[in-house]
Amino acid sequence: MLQRFTGKKLSKREKQEERVFYLFISLWLIGFLAFTGGPMIASLFISFTNWTGVKSISFIGMDNYQTMITDKLFWITLKNTAYYAFASVFFGTVVALIIAILLNQNIPGRNILRTIFFMPSVTQGVAIAIMWLWVLNPQVGLLNYGLSFLGIKGPGWVTSQTWAMPALVVMAIWQNGQAMIILLAALQGVPRMFYEAASLDGAGQWAKFRNVTIPMISPALFFVIVIGVVGSFQIFTTVAVMTRGGPGSSTMVYVYYLYQNAFSYFKMGYASALGWILFIIIAALTWVQFAAGRRWVHYE
Amino acid sequence: MFKKPLDKVVSRRTFLKAAAGGSALMVFGITPLASRAFAQDAKELSLGLTWEAAFRPTQDEFDKNFMDKHPDITLNKQYNTWGDHQTIVPTWAAAGTLPDIVYVHGSRGAPWTAEGIITDIDDLANGDAEFNVSDIWEEALRLYKPQGAITAVPYDHGPILLGYNKDIFDAAGHAYPDGTWTMEDFRAAAIALTDTEKGIWGWSGNFPDRNAGGQFLPWGAQFMNEEETQLTLDTPEMLTAIQFWADLIHVDKVAPTTADNQAFPSGPWQGGVVAMSNVASWDTPTLAEFAPFAWDVAPWPAGTQKGTGSFGSGFGICHPENRDTGWAYLREYLNKEGMEFMWGASGRGSPARQSAYDSWLNSPIAPEHASAYLDALKTYAMTDRPFRTLKAPELLDITGREVDLIKNGDKSVADALAAMQKDGQALLDS
Repeated sequence: MLQRFTGKKLSKREKQEERVFYLFISLWLIGFLAFTGGPMIASLFISFTNWTGVKSISFIGMDNYQTMITDKLFWITLKNTAYYAFASVFFGTVVALIIAILLNQNIPGRNILRTIFFMPSVTQGVAIAIMWLWVLNPQVGLLNYGLSFLGIKGPGWVTSQTWAMPALVVMAIWQNGQAMIILLAALQGVPRMFYEAASLDGAGQWAKFRNVTIPMISPALFFVIVIGVVGSFQIFTTVAVMTRGGPGSSTMVYVYYLYQNAFSYFKMGYASALGWILFIIIAALTWVQFAAGRRWVHYE
Repeated sequence: MFKKPLDKVVSRRTFLKAAAGGSALMVFGITPLASRAFAQDAKELSLGLTWEAAFRPTQDEFDKNFMDKHPDITLNKQYNTWGDHQTIVPTWAAAGTLPDIVYVHGSRGAPWTAEGIITDIDDLANGDAEFNVSDIWEEALRLYKPQGAITAVPYDHGPILLGYNKDIFDAAGHAYPDGTWTMEDFRAAAIALTDTEKGIWGWSGNFPDRNAGGQFLPWGAQFMNEEETQLTLDTPEMLTAIQFWADLIHVDKVAPTTADNQAFPSGPWQGGVVAMSNVASWDTPTLAEFAPFAWDVAPWPAGTQKGTGSFGSGFGICHPENRDTGWAYLREYLNKEGMEFMWGASGRGSPARQSAYDSWLNSPIAPEHASAYLDALKTYAMTDRPFRTLKAPELLDITGREVDLIKNGDKSVADALAAMQKDGQALLDS
């Protein structure tokens, strides 16, 4: 195969490596076709039908997509999800960077601290949601207890229209250990000589951070932001467990609404259309980020 | 080490063909096999149930007795949690892996009938004189006759009554509620029993969502018309009714707020800090086991008239080809003796049959005045709407969101009802 692309005749060893390559990816490829690729194509077809999820399927053209234009809840979920994505990615990245910088210092117990900060990102989502329900409990929760020392009476976080979404954002920031680890690895990869050269030029800490650190870790930052946006647009578990979209529709996010349409309202066709619009939104945002990334991401 | 099996070069095209073929086999091949496992042999009966672990031994005992009596039938059970069951069953249906018999909550009777998940058993139920379908409460059976024909048989049906914490009433020296209470008596008692310094509230603050009839039927209001095509939420009666419950929270301050509620994992009523709450018959086993206080029930207070909502659950048969075997099971599971054994004597739920009701009233965990449930069913309880329109889940989500806002004090009752009427009617008209 490679021979066809490169025009180079493959040696016996190269041919053997090619076969091993296909053997190794075969499980993943079969899995992808069966469990991701196939369902994706099926959902595209279903999005043009009024299928309820069980029977009575008929082709309705673009009706599902047109319905979204007048569906009030569709726009609310889009707004809520964009708010969550922007806030959780922006603050999540800033906090992850700050923690990564702190953990990059030569401080005692830093390995333990790194593990502690990383742990939330590998903990099961439902368990985290239930734990946070207790942390955010207005009567007996840790957060309001802590605020009381500052003379602040904390709100009923997940029962308040105003505070429910910020509460979910705080949770997302707390769970951002993966970004912290990626940024920490990037920080450790910045060569010391750049800082030494900057010092010789009279640069202070802030100048070194802005002109050396940020450009040098920009590929990692870019990766963290792109993955963060993709993930945050798909928020589901915490909403399903903690708020079910409420109070009112204050935490009604896109994927939860999609789930309700598919499994509660018997609107599998509409849910599939919602899925494809989400796919297009995420793809467009990723494209925009890549386009913008050319201006600020520096690859060595 | 890989050399031998890979002697023959596999081209990428061949490989992709094989992968796609394998995938297709997996996707299209597994489903019919699984489906056949359930549907092929009529003498193997599979059940999709939702019982909690504590109740499963009762189910096992019934099934053992049944199989002893019918050695040609083998029963296989699958359990879902109650909440998951509502989404798992349609998924089973889409995958062609439905069991022969499934638990059907009253709210799913209409959609599962429309989707063909449960099959018409009208001829079996009505044609079986020994089964005596007329013994089942009409209010219970109507949930499973969305298009006129019976598609499932209820096992449990209960109205919403007024539960009360006897310890709180006793401590305050207040008389227990009884059948003479009006809504004003109830409100006065809730105010009298509230002592926020001690963390005691008069009312639980519930706006029962599914079982909403108790909220407005006593004022003569209705959720929607009989055909379930027109909402009737914008009437003066409805405004008066909902304002009454909102005022208990925001004006009289006799109920915990939604934020206060969070301090109690099982809710403030079960936590023992509220004097009164709405209590359905299916709540009684949980209360009997976990309530850390003495409790009882009283008739639902009257407003301008008497009225409360009721609801229940049942069982349906999924595979038309297995109807006869399925019915052989259901007719024994849901006849008088079956209901008495399963739900009556165990106290698990108030039977949907009049003749089996006494077994529940006499069960050790039924409250002292459990007969108030029977009186309500006989005289003033009415099955809560919606249960016929396929848009019920979406409709109830719309009203639920607005109720959240009323409870939080974020929206006036009038504005919330107007929004429910507008958005809900638009949904029904779409």
